[in-house]
Amino acid sequence: MALTTDEKMAWLEHVELFQGLPPDALRRVAERSGEIEFPAAHHIVTQGIIGNGLYIVIAGRARVVKGDQVAAELGPGEFFGELSVIDQMPRLASVIAQEPTTCLALASWDLIAEIERDPKLALNLLRALALRLRAARDEHRH
Amino acid sequence: MNSEEVVDELASLSLFADLQRPQLRAVAHIFSEESFPPGQRILRQGFQGSGFYVILEGDVTVRIDGEDRAKLSKGDFFGEMSLLLGEPPVADVVAIGELHVLHLAGPDLKGFLERYPPVMFRMLQSVARRLRNANRLRS
Repeated sequence: MALTTDEKMAWLEHVELFQGLPPDALRRVAERSGEIEFPAAHHIVTQGIIGNGLYIVIAGRARVVKGDQVAAELGPGEFFGELSVIDQMPRLASVIAQEPTTCLALASWDLIAEIERDPKLALNLLRALALRLRAARDEHRH
Repeated sequence: MNSEEVVDELASLSLFADLQRPQLRAVAHIFSEESFPPGQRILRQGFQGSGFYVILEGDVTVRIDGEDRAKLSKGDFFGEMSLLLGEPPVADVVAIGELHVLHLAGPDLKGFLERYPPVMFRMLQSVARRLRNANRLRS
């Protein structure tokens, strides 16, 4: 697709993680994010492998798989990999493209740099992790 | 505790470990000290949360549907999940013995974290660690 920075910004501002960020922050994130196209069935990330980036789906569809269980389906505007931004530990799940899928990818260190500049982004990330934690515990209980 | 003693206590907690003394004094002003007797319920499962708490002294039990799930001690904190998510707590939090805490009113938490990014970063790491543990339990 080869998106321009402005087009990337237009995507980012609709992603929950980047809600409420000032335009200059969104522009920095857009400039540092790379667009990657994955063929169907490609493992975008693999469970157990150390992760160092955040991905935002902008086209296509991907499946989150833990072990042999499908945990979620992701479509445009949804993101994954946010935990690895904080701890750079092995991925908790695999994410597999279900059809040709395009993502914006952002390296952990670029996102960390932006988090250090903008507490609003840190708060959004904290909220995203809290949501994942509550979902993980709900799954555990049921 | 006098205010310098509270500052000393804060300095020893990992949540505030990256703050300098003047910032710790400011934090000591923002939070209020509270004490609870044994058995007192501080957060109630299913009811809108009343704030963010950091334990200075004593232990609490985290109880879900009447079952004790975890124990929190000095330096641990609670109440932040439901405040961040805008949802009621999913657990009761009950004092085991005499409990001494710092309390921040719920609506003030986000502003506090935005003003003290190092505290937010510590909290991010804590939530990330709990997320890892929750997944380890399941698999």
